[in-house]
Amino acid sequence: MKRQRVYIQAAAQISIQSPLNEDWMGNPIQYEKPFIRSTEPNFRDFISPIEARRIGRLQKRALTTSLTAIHQSKIEHPDAIITGTGLGCIENTELFLKDMCNEGEHLLKPTPFIQSTHNTISSLIAIYTQTYSYNVTYSHRNISFECALYDAILQFRLQKINSALVGSHDELTPSWYKLLKKVGYLGSPSAEASVSFMLTCEQKNSWCELGGIKILHQPSIEILKLSLKKLLADNELNLSDIDAVITGINGSLTTDLPTIQVCKQLFGQKPLLHYKHLFGDSYSASGLGLYSATCCLKYQFVPNILYYVETKNQICNPRNIVFFGQSDYKDYSLILLKSSCGK
Amino acid sequence: MKKIGRNKYSMKEPIYITGAGIVSAIGLNKAEVLDSLRQHRTGIAPLQYLQSEHTELPVGEVKLSNEKMKSILQISESIPPTRTSLMGIMAIKEALNEANIVPSSTQCIGFVSGTTVGGMDMTEQHYLDFFEKNDFDHFITSHDCGACTQTIADYFGHFSYVTSVSTACSSAANAIILGAELIESGELDIVIVGGSESLTKYHLNGFNTLMILDHEQCRPFDATRSGLNLGEGAAYLILEKASSAKRRKAKAIGTLSGYGNACDAFHQTASSENGEGAFRAMIKAVQSAGLQMNDIQYINAHGTGTINNDISESIAIKRLFGDILPPISSTKSYTGHTTSASGSIEAVICLLAMTYQFLPTNLNWKYPMPEGITPNMHDYSNTELKHVLCNSFGFGGNDSSLLLSKPMNE
Repeated sequence: MKRQRVYIQAAAQISIQSPLNEDWMGNPIQYEKPFIRSTEPNFRDFISPIEARRIGRLQKRALTTSLTAIHQSKIEHPDAIITGTGLGCIENTELFLKDMCNEGEHLLKPTPFIQSTHNTISSLIAIYTQTYSYNVTYSHRNISFECALYDAILQFRLQKINSALVGSHDELTPSWYKLLKKVGYLGSPSAEASVSFMLTCEQKNSWCELGGIKILHQPSIEILKLSLKKLLADNELNLSDIDAVITGINGSLTTDLPTIQVCKQLFGQKPLLHYKHLFGDSYSASGLGLYSATCCLKYQFVPNILYYVETKNQICNPRNIVFFGQSDYKDYSLILLKSSCGK
Repeated sequence: MKKIGRNKYSMKEPIYITGAGIVSAIGLNKAEVLDSLRQHRTGIAPLQYLQSEHTELPVGEVKLSNEKMKSILQISESIPPTRTSLMGIMAIKEALNEANIVPSSTQCIGFVSGTTVGGMDMTEQHYLDFFEKNDFDHFITSHDCGACTQTIADYFGHFSYVTSVSTACSSAANAIILGAELIESGELDIVIVGGSESLTKYHLNGFNTLMILDHEQCRPFDATRSGLNLGEGAAYLILEKASSAKRRKAKAIGTLSGYGNACDAFHQTASSENGEGAFRAMIKAVQSAGLQMNDIQYINAHGTGTINNDISESIAIKRLFGDILPPISSTKSYTGHTTSASGSIEAVICLLAMTYQFLPTNLNWKYPMPEGITPNMHDYSNTELKHVLCNSFGFGGNDSSLLLSKPMNE
């Protein structure tokens, strides 16, 4: 069976960088604060005022990035809508929870509860766009997005779908930030992330090709090496074809060191790119990591700000970039992106 | 009746179910659940374990405290796992035991678990403490869905892919669907799939604010129905590529022959009038199995007992099957609505029905509803149960349907 090729046809983000554009590549916004909430576009340009009043902040962002990806790709009804979210709609969850803990169980209102379930994001997109197709949500810590992407790739490979809208969405409230900080979760800056990708089988006008994905639970370094080799071999590539590795280093040396060490073991001296210093850390940060690499391939350059170590030998016309992610040092992800520009 | 042609998937290698485990209000294993179903014994009762002000609401609780579960599982840590994780571990142990699998580093076994409340049972007890004290900080890290799945995975060790599906009340069904895709695409030979969900004050109150909880025993598909009873539990299946099962000489207790996932795309908490999502999910399930409507001998309905679901589901079933309906029942009248776990709990009930050749009944039904289906009230089936549909519909219109079959004689 011929392997179905998958391309990223559109991508859009709302984060702590300028929303819905790639300004960060030339004019990155740098922050000093440890916790920053996303910079939002004018939602009324995308969502009807009635709808906007009804839904939560995370849902507005997710719907806006999704509609942007839908618009860019001209695919109104994707064959699959798949979302990854680590915490789900935590703002509404906390609203309901706080009321219940403070006021007891007899005066609660339904709206925050309705808007608090993880799958409201994927289903809102389906309801808003009247899309009846496959619709699923993954919530698995820092690899929630990768799990969503993996599901999409499996279905492309099984030739069940020709398009998929895959999103990575997390919000963070000041109170839940306090709690995560307390237990040593999330690097600095802690932030929020919404990013949507439209995947299709069409190479034309695509941002890049999605060569494949591997997600591994508690792998040994040998298994990781084998999986990387397999991922590259499936695409008729060798390690020497890889221009750079992008990884979610989160700004603290103690937690970053193991990741950097694994990267060295897997990729040798390949240039290391990072993105969390730009986009912040969150359960959905990996979506922004993949988005950063996607932009590098689309625009055929790697902005200075992404290099982990300053270099004089900058990458010209990047061809292949590997995303490397991890969650709790238990789950690891490898995603291969290839340039879809002509040779 | 709608005619459906065989499609390209019907020649694929079968996916066997080589083990199953269940923990629910009507029993802590398959034998107990089978006995309750045969004896028409419901597990829905007044609140006993969950500390809620709503003592008027009947629920389907698993009749064990967390402490008791810990001692059964010989978990001695001072940091208690969440109830969702504890129930999940119990159900998986039964499933692995039946499949004769001991997870080890030499095998590649996947684990896909559905949950939505995750560790909320502990979060809601200590949320205010989190900000004032440090004694309960471990429950901050066990709050999310992924953390609960991780705890279960850590108990067994040696899984090669672990993930959590969260699509509200269809989470477990969608976990089963992902497991099937992982096998079909050649990624894995064996995947543990299902879901676990404990009762929490959080969603008991959430459903209560929506005014969809019955203060009496729920009456699915009855004209007088006035809501659901929440339940809790866990169930997992071992999905295995047929060739792998044959190699291991493992016996199939069933086959996952088809599945469908669709979105109703109508409303966050209500089902559409014509049951579009349900209709699409069921038709995909039958089509992907390469079967016809008249091949289906039983439908385990989503059948929550809410005014909205039962009429919407009835209409969807009638649209699909026309005038000749197979026997249909909702076993939520036994277990309560086990939300994220319901897809796998009801899949295990379907497997029991096919293994022991009986029809699960629909308790508490008396009065037919206008335009509604008439549920099955008798255990005896006059035809052999070979293929059954199992429906799970979630908030947001996340509708899924599984087609389970009796293992073929070889």
